[in-house]
Amino acid sequence: MKEKVLAIINKIRATKELPAVSSLNVNDNLRNDLDLTSFDLAELTVRIEDEFDIDIFEDGLVNTIGEVLAKLEK
Amino acid sequence: MFLYNGEQSYSYADLLKAVCMDDYVPLLKTHDLFKYFSNLIKALVNNKPLVLLDSDLSLSELGGINEEKINVIEKLRTQKFSSMDEVVKALQQSASEITIFTSGTTGQPKKVIHSVQGLTRSVRCAERYQWQVWAYAYNPTHMAGLQVFFQAFENQNTLVNVFGLARNEVYSLIEKYSVTHISATPTFYRLLLPFEKEYSSVQRITFGGEKSDRHLFDVIHDIFPLAKINNIYASTEAGSLFAAKGDCFQIPASIRDKFMVVDDELLIHRSLLGRSESFSFDGDYYHSNDLIEWVDRQEGIFRFKSRKNELINVGGYKVNPGEVEVVINAIDGIRQSLVYGKFNSVLGNVLCADIQLEEGVLLKELDIRCQLKNKLQDFKIPRRIKFVESFALTRTGKLKRL
Repeated sequence: MKEKVLAIINKIRATKELPAVSSLNVNDNLRNDLDLTSFDLAELTVRIEDEFDIDIFEDGLVNTIGEVLAKLEK
Repeated sequence: MFLYNGEQSYSYADLLKAVCMDDYVPLLKTHDLFKYFSNLIKALVNNKPLVLLDSDLSLSELGGINEEKINVIEKLRTQKFSSMDEVVKALQQSASEITIFTSGTTGQPKKVIHSVQGLTRSVRCAERYQWQVWAYAYNPTHMAGLQVFFQAFENQNTLVNVFGLARNEVYSLIEKYSVTHISATPTFYRLLLPFEKEYSSVQRITFGGEKSDRHLFDVIHDIFPLAKINNIYASTEAGSLFAAKGDCFQIPASIRDKFMVVDDELLIHRSLLGRSESFSFDGDYYHSNDLIEWVDRQEGIFRFKSRKNELINVGGYKVNPGEVEVVINAIDGIRQSLVYGKFNSVLGNVLCADIQLEEGVLLKELDIRCQLKNKLQDFKIPRRIKFVESFALTRTGKLKRL
């Protein structure tokens, strides 16, 4: 699961011409550490929804990778 | 010749004979285009009202139809004619009303009633139109199909049915019958891409719809190098209203006083419309939902911007999907695209695109997004691209909006 999220994030970073990250840390902040804008976060939710059928932002803001993974583990 | 349909061919003499026979089918259900047209003409020249429905409608969708009467011939004392000229004349003077349904790229079909005169408002008859051969590329029960039919029929032209056919079949018929005129949706023309060889019999290409797509025009011009290309604006509600002038449209002088523009939206006077319970008027005007800008108000020249309800709100930015589609379609290797909003809890909507590639083309999502970066603002670039084999079409052959 973590690998899939990593692949999705790297796909989004690639379109922004940012280098791929090699691994994800639960404390990584989506905006500050991974440089995702709100448009990128929207894309992230769509792609995660395609993959896992879960809307990670459905009930409020998610800030870190740890919070994303927690949503997916539910 | 009147009609080529698959293996069948029918002359105007065949049609005259069919129209003069006393049997009439009040509830005709058919895929046979000749039967459909001859029954239609017979009703009109005998001043009978008509309701046109799609052949794929199931009876459960219709109320009040006696199934036992479908395709049962009734003896009707019909008017007799000795030539097609007389039939054409009788049709032009017909007091029939024709009920058709909006296909609606969204929503339930709505019923609209038109007079024959309203429907044939933009039909042009002249001797020099006599030898035209039309590729018939529209659904015959809808507005555009009726427009093309009346234009061809009133000049006793030849129709070649190409509706719903595959690319190679369309080309082979154009060649076989030396088609001179094609009127179709942009979606139909996109099916003909890419350019492989020239077809020089075609003199006129008409695009239905308000959008102009430079890239598509250019390729179509390569395929049909001798054809003049134009756009026509027609709607189920009002019929054909005006034709394009370059990338703009011009309202004919005769009806120029029948339009208003309020908040960029084109308003049409009720006298130009058919009748329908679903129309709501603002005074005497109907909201077309088309947003336009004047280029020359005096001369009635304007440009379409978008459909009012088509704008997609992406995080507060308004995106016109048509504008994005034009840019995507201009990329080499892309045949067609559909841009839409998908509900999203972060932005309200996320912009998505379904894309159909030309055969043998290997384009990746990242390649396309990189190409779009140089041409569109960031918020207009689809955030998810799905590759599809084909698109769902509405009954009139437009792309189905989700």
